[in-house]
Amino acid sequence: MESLFLQQIANGLIIGSIYCLMAVGLTMIFGVMKISNFAHGDFLMLGSYFAIYTTLCLTGWVGWISAMFIAAVGVGIIGFLAERWLFRPMMLRNADIDVLMLSIGLSIFIANAAHVLFGSSPKMLTDPFRSQNIDLFFFSTSLIRIFSFFLSVLAIIVLQVFLTRTKTGTAIRATSQNRNASMLMGIDTGLIFGLTFVIGSAFAGLSGVLYGTIVTITPTMGGLPTLKAFAITIMGGMGSIKGAIYGGLILGIAEALGGNYISMDYKNAIGFIIIIVILLFMPEGLFGRKGR
Amino acid sequence: MHTAKEVIMNGKTISCCLLFLACVGLVSFSNNVNAANTIDIGFTGPFTGPVAFNGGEMRKGAMLAVDEINAKGGLFGMKVNVVFGDDESQPQKGVAAVKKLISRDKVIVVGGGYHSSVAIATSEVCEREKTPNVIAVAVSPTIMAKGYSYIFRTAPDAFQMTDGLFAWLAVRKPKTVAFLMENSDYGRDSEKIWLAEAKKLGASDLAHLYFQIGDADFTTQISKLKSLKPEVTFSIGSTTEEALITKQSKELNYVTQWVGAGGHMTEEFFKMVGLDSLYIIAGSNEPTLAMKDPVTAAFVKAYTAKYDGARAGVFSSQGYDNMVVILDAIKRAGKPSGDLQKDRDAIRGALTKTSLNASQGLIQFDKTGQITKARSMAVQVQKVQGKAQLVVIYPTELANGVYQPPVPWSER
Repeated sequence: MESLFLQQIANGLIIGSIYCLMAVGLTMIFGVMKISNFAHGDFLMLGSYFAIYTTLCLTGWVGWISAMFIAAVGVGIIGFLAERWLFRPMMLRNADIDVLMLSIGLSIFIANAAHVLFGSSPKMLTDPFRSQNIDLFFFSTSLIRIFSFFLSVLAIIVLQVFLTRTKTGTAIRATSQNRNASMLMGIDTGLIFGLTFVIGSAFAGLSGVLYGTIVTITPTMGGLPTLKAFAITIMGGMGSIKGAIYGGLILGIAEALGGNYISMDYKNAIGFIIIIVILLFMPEGLFGRKGR
Repeated sequence: MHTAKEVIMNGKTISCCLLFLACVGLVSFSNNVNAANTIDIGFTGPFTGPVAFNGGEMRKGAMLAVDEINAKGGLFGMKVNVVFGDDESQPQKGVAAVKKLISRDKVIVVGGGYHSSVAIATSEVCEREKTPNVIAVAVSPTIMAKGYSYIFRTAPDAFQMTDGLFAWLAVRKPKTVAFLMENSDYGRDSEKIWLAEAKKLGASDLAHLYFQIGDADFTTQISKLKSLKPEVTFSIGSTTEEALITKQSKELNYVTQWVGAGGHMTEEFFKMVGLDSLYIIAGSNEPTLAMKDPVTAAFVKAYTAKYDGARAGVFSSQGYDNMVVILDAIKRAGKPSGDLQKDRDAIRGALTKTSLNASQGLIQFDKTGQITKARSMAVQVQKVQGKAQLVVIYPTELANGVYQPPVPWSER
């Protein structure tokens, strides 16, 4: 017995889990470095193209799994270079607006460079399950979506364990809480900044593979993920990973249920209406820290 | 009394001004030289952004016509030069591009035009500036309904595009229909036409669902459609969105008779979805399916030869016809006099008397500037020798196959 309500909840949870993965990298970079990286969606797009070229060389499951590693590492390296040569010199000037403009400029540059390098034709990543459908008791979906859901959950759990159970993770959290105190405690905050940006970018690359498998890949595909990731980050509280998880799932489910029961025309607007409502009552977002 | 520093500064300012004036002079001089030796035509479309590949096909078609005429020595001994304006699929960018073409590049006519929403805005600018505008692809009836005198369209409007398709649907008589449309002038205007036709056939409409250009997840809409089980689902959108809708229908195991339009019929669409596109039906004026027409066949051959074996699609063919009509009108209007407004008016006059055979068939304009007749076929994607191929199922005189009802995904 399929139920439309449960079907929409499942649709929302699955797409929401991919939104979480997109937003986690963004919120982490903001939490530690206080950078609003508008090029985050373009990093995701690069991850998708890394996957396209990997699956051209290696087919089937081997190709797809390798694509995830190559996309995460490749975009991580690009993130490292961007942090080291672009963001860090700007941050040293201590002008937030410069960093913001840099990330917007970087976004335009990456999208246009991708246009030249990869062409404008949309591409699709080969789904290792060949879009195979699976009928569960109350709803039906595809195997790749179920797989993407569990993979997103796994990636976020691994990140959470890293941040809470390792010395480096603790240093990242400490830098996020109080940069000056961390420096006094002997933490190399420069190194932590670099590492955070690399991890955040690697997550963008990874989500590029999952997102790229269910959508079409074009040089301009990064716009929508950037917008969604920002919406989620603001809703959940800037810099809060827990906020990104809840925010992503809330946005996914709200879009699915709102689209179904309120209006399809406003499906995309519903997320933003929720943000306005949440911010009205909780100005710091769901799990944001109070500003000083 | 001026100090030495002030004198130096003034000297510097004067040198800068002189340099600036020299540059301006050089630019205007080069423009004049350009104007004397070339005939400048403006051509707009989405050359970057989400449908850049479709805009590119349209441009390639147009450039084939321009290169053909330039190879023969151009027009009146002058080379034909095309100045492109990129609308990036956005009306405001389209308006800016057209304004630049008309006032700065001083083109004598503006061709191209892909999105209806953009064309509605840009046609208004062209009419106001008394510059002939020949639209190549945009189908919305709203564009021509405004009664403008400088606007023409070489493409079928949404009514003409669906003639063949509705003749076929009248035979099939579906009982229930639903709509999944792009939330734009293109989607909404087409929806009105399709809904009116569906009502005529006595079908009940179960749902009207929309999506935004650039949307990537359609599972909400498809799940809702699945719960309603319409016999026929009309879908109007661009290639990327239609490819995702097709793919996600398979993922959610949604079986319906999809009926679509342009977005379903591009080469990119088939490249992306392959055999998942089976059973989709669309109204089409695909040139490769009308090879009995010698003009169409010649176009397809020339296009394939020029672009390394690329298949000539609908947009390439529409871009080609658009430029052929423009060039023909310039030729009949006579050698440009140099008086821009006089030349633009002469071309407008010549356009009204257009009568020529192009790759989409005979082109003549009615009083509104719309082509009088369009070639319209109902085509279905069918499996031929293991590949997804377009098969004409209506009208019967052009048909090369019969309708196949869609089967469950598990049996495909």
